[in-house]
Amino acid sequence: MAYTPRGRGGDRGRGGDRGGFRGGSRGGQGGARGGRGGFGDRGGRGGGRGAPRGRGAPRGGRGGVRGGAKGGAKTIIEPYTRFPGVFLARGKEDMLVTKNLTPGESVYGEKRISVESSSIDKSITNGDATPATKTEYRVWNPFRSKLAAGILGGLDEIFIKPGAKVLYLGAASGTSVSHVADIVGPTGTVFAVEFSHRSGRDLINMATHRTNVIPIVEDARHPLKYRMLVSMVDTIFADVAQPDQARIVGINAHMYLKVGGGVVVSIKANCIDSTAPAEQVFAREVQKMKEERIKPFEQVTLEPFERDHCIVTGKYVRSMT
Amino acid sequence: MSIDYLLHESSVGYAIFQVIHQADTVGNRLREVQDSVQDLAKFGKMVKLVSFAPFSGAAQALENANEVSEGLASDFLLSLLEVNLPQSGKKNKITLGVADKNLAGAIKGAFPGLECETGDTSEIVMDMLRGIRQHAHKLLKQLQERDVERAQLGLGHAYSRARVKFSVQKNDNHIIQAIATLDHLDKAINMFSMRVREWYSWHFPELIRIVSENHQYAKLALWIGDKERLSDAHKDELAAQLNDDTELAQSIIDVAKVSMGQKISETDMDNVTTFASKVVSLTNYRKTLYGYLVGKMGVVAPNLATLIGEMVGARLISHAGSLTNLSKYPASTVQILGAEKALFRALKTKGNTPKYGLIYHSSFIGKAGQKNKGRISRFLANKCSIASRIDNFSEAPTTRFGEALKSQVEERLRFYDSGAAPTKNEQAMRKAMDSVLADIDVEDPTAQVDRDEDMADVAPRAIQKQENQKKDKKGKKKDKTSQEEIADGEKKKKRKHGEVNGEREKKKHKKVKE
Repeated sequence: MAYTPRGRGGDRGRGGDRGGFRGGSRGGQGGARGGRGGFGDRGGRGGGRGAPRGRGAPRGGRGGVRGGAKGGAKTIIEPYTRFPGVFLARGKEDMLVTKNLTPGESVYGEKRISVESSSIDKSITNGDATPATKTEYRVWNPFRSKLAAGILGGLDEIFIKPGAKVLYLGAASGTSVSHVADIVGPTGTVFAVEFSHRSGRDLINMATHRTNVIPIVEDARHPLKYRMLVSMVDTIFADVAQPDQARIVGINAHMYLKVGGGVVVSIKANCIDSTAPAEQVFAREVQKMKEERIKPFEQVTLEPFERDHCIVTGKYVRSMT
Repeated sequence: MSIDYLLHESSVGYAIFQVIHQADTVGNRLREVQDSVQDLAKFGKMVKLVSFAPFSGAAQALENANEVSEGLASDFLLSLLEVNLPQSGKKNKITLGVADKNLAGAIKGAFPGLECETGDTSEIVMDMLRGIRQHAHKLLKQLQERDVERAQLGLGHAYSRARVKFSVQKNDNHIIQAIATLDHLDKAINMFSMRVREWYSWHFPELIRIVSENHQYAKLALWIGDKERLSDAHKDELAAQLNDDTELAQSIIDVAKVSMGQKISETDMDNVTTFASKVVSLTNYRKTLYGYLVGKMGVVAPNLATLIGEMVGARLISHAGSLTNLSKYPASTVQILGAEKALFRALKTKGNTPKYGLIYHSSFIGKAGQKNKGRISRFLANKCSIASRIDNFSEAPTTRFGEALKSQVEERLRFYDSGAAPTKNEQAMRKAMDSVLADIDVEDPTAQVDRDEDMADVAPRAIQKQENQKKDKKGKKKDKTSQEEIADGEKKKKRKHGEVNGEREKKKHKKVKE
C-alpha cells in the first residue's frame, strides 16, 4: 500500500472502534504532563484518565485493583480485529487489553480483568485451546504506552503478533514490554534492550516472571555487543528518543532484522530537534529511515495521548528494488 | 576478496563455518542473491559447518559473552580457531569473516597470518552472518529447536544482571542520592518547623518574636514545654540553650510571665513536644548528612567542590547523572545545566538563551555586577568543566587545581570590578601543576628508589580509580604486576599534564579571538 503520512483515523472510516475510548475523546490533557523519568509517571494513571464517573457500581476491572472478578460478567472481551493477541474489553467504557501471560500478577499496578473463557470465541484467541477456566487480561493504558496509543491512533500494522520475535529497543522499566510479551505469547520472544541501569533493574525483575522476555542491559547504539543474546527477529520496535534514533534502528536492523521484517519506531519530535516543527522532524526521520533501507509504510500521530509524537512503521528491504 | 571461513558467536557456543560458495560483491544487493540467503535449502549449500564448540556451562557462556561484547578473544575461542583453521601462509591467505572489528583485531593479533573481514568492511560477510544467524538452529545440527532461545534467556539474565551490578559510577550514586535527600529534607524541615511554630504559638505566641530561627525555635519549644514552669531560676539553663545569651534568656522569661498564650493540657503538650523533638532530630540528621556529602565530594570531586562549593558541585553531578557525564559536557552545557526549560523556550521562540542554570547558586555570580553576571557565568562554567575533567580522570585526588581555578575566578571578578589584570592562565595552571607534582614527587626520574616508595602509596588508589573508569580497563589485565600499574599511572599523569597544556593553548586562542 502506498505510504501516506496521516493523522489519526484519516479516511479509514473506522471511527466507531475508537469512539468508545474515553481517552480518545479528550485532547486537552496532554499539555499538563511533564516529561518522563524520575518518579513521575508518564500519563495519567488511573484517576487521571477520566471525566468524573460514577463511583457506585462495581464494574469489571475498574472497581478495584484486584481486577473485578465479579464484574467480569459485565465486561465482554473481544479480539481487536486488526491485531491478533490484542483485545478490547467492552464495559462501561472500552479498554485495550492483552491476555496476561502470568495470571494473578500486575507488572506496574495496572488493572486486571478476568473473564470466563467461554465468553470468547475460541477460534480467534490465537487458536489456543483454552480449557473452561478463567482467562485474565491486563489493561493497556494508551497514556503510558506509545504502542497502545499507536494502536488506538489507527495503525494498520504493528508487526507484533503471537509467535513473533521482537527486538524492543528502549525497553525502560518493561511496562510496555510486558504487553508486547503478552501479545507474542509463549511461542514468541521479546529481546528487550535498555541502557539505563536503574530501569534495567526493573526490566530484569519483570523478565524473571515472563520467560519470553530476554532482558539486555546494553547500549542499543552498539548492537554488536549483544550479538550473542539475540537471534534474527521479525520486528524491531524502537522507543529510544535519541537524536540519532533512525541510525540506531538502522544498524540494529542490518544485524538482526529478517528481510521483510517490520519496523515500528516511535518518534518524539522534541528529542530530535526542538526548534523545527514536528511535522518537518517526522518527515526528516522518515527520510533517514529510507536511507537505512527501511521502506516506510505508514505514519500515525499519537494525539491526544502524547503531544508531538508519532509512530512510523516500515518494512526492512535489504535487496535493491 | 573471498571469504574462506566465518565465525558465528551464539548463546550456545562458537561455530566456525566454511564458505563454499559466496555471492559477488557487485551483485550482492540483487534480489535473487538476497533470497538465496533467506532460503535454507540454498544457504545450506553456501556454507558448511566446520566446528561447533558449545560452552560447557552458564558460567563459561557468561564469561565469553562479556569478552565478546568487549571485543576480546577468549582463550576458548582462540584455541578453537587454532584447531580448525588451516595454517595461513603467504601463498594461501585464509580470510575469516567476523562480526566485530575489535574482535577481528584481537584475532589478528593472535594469528598474524590470518586475514579478517568484518561486517563493516564487507557486505558479503554481513549477509552470510545474517544467514547463519537466521538458520543457526538448523545449521548447528546437534541443537534442538529451542535450545538457542533457552540459552539466550539464561545468558541474557546473567549478562544483564552483571551489567547492573557492575556500576561504573559507584561513588557518584551516593552523591546524587545524598543531594536529593538533602533537598527533600530542607523542604520537609521548613514545613514542619512552620507547623511547630503554629502549634506552639497557641501556647506561647511571644516566643516567635524573640527566636525566629527555625531550629533554635524547635529546640526551645522542646526545652520549655509548658511556659508556666519558667521562672527566673531557669535563666542559666535557658541561656545554655541559647549559646549563653543571658539577655535573650531573660527576655524570654519575662515575656513568658505576661504571655497571652492559652493554657495547654499535659496530653496536648506531649504531642507538641513529640513533634518538636522530631523536627529537632530531623535538623540534626540534616547536619550529619550534609557533613557526609561534603566528605564524599572531597573524595570524588575535590576540585569541583573547591571551585564552586559542595552543594552546587553535587547538584551539577546529580543533574548530569554522573561525574563522568559531567566531565564529557562542554562548558557551554555546564553553564546552563538546570535551565533546560528556559533554553528550549528560547530556542523555540528565537529569544535570548539563559545565562546560567545551577551555577547561579554559586557565590561568584551573586558577587558580580548585573552587567557582568553573564560573563562570569561563562568563565565559571569553563573552570567547572575543567575541574570536573581533572576530578574524573586524575589518579590521586587533590584540590590544588580547584584552588587555582577558584582564585582565577576571583581575580576575574576583581578585574571586572576594578580592572586589575588577572594572572595569565598559563601561569596559574603551571603553578597548580607544579604544586601537584611537588606533592606527588614523580618528576625526578633519577630518584628511582624514592619513586618506588612513593608509588607504593599511589598504586592502590590507581587501582581503585581504574575500577571507576571503564575506558582504562581495556587492555589492562588484573594480573599485571603493580609495577606496570605504576608505570601506567605515571604515563597517565604525564598525559594529563599534556591535556592541561592543551587547554591552555585553547584558552590562548580564545583570548586572541576576544
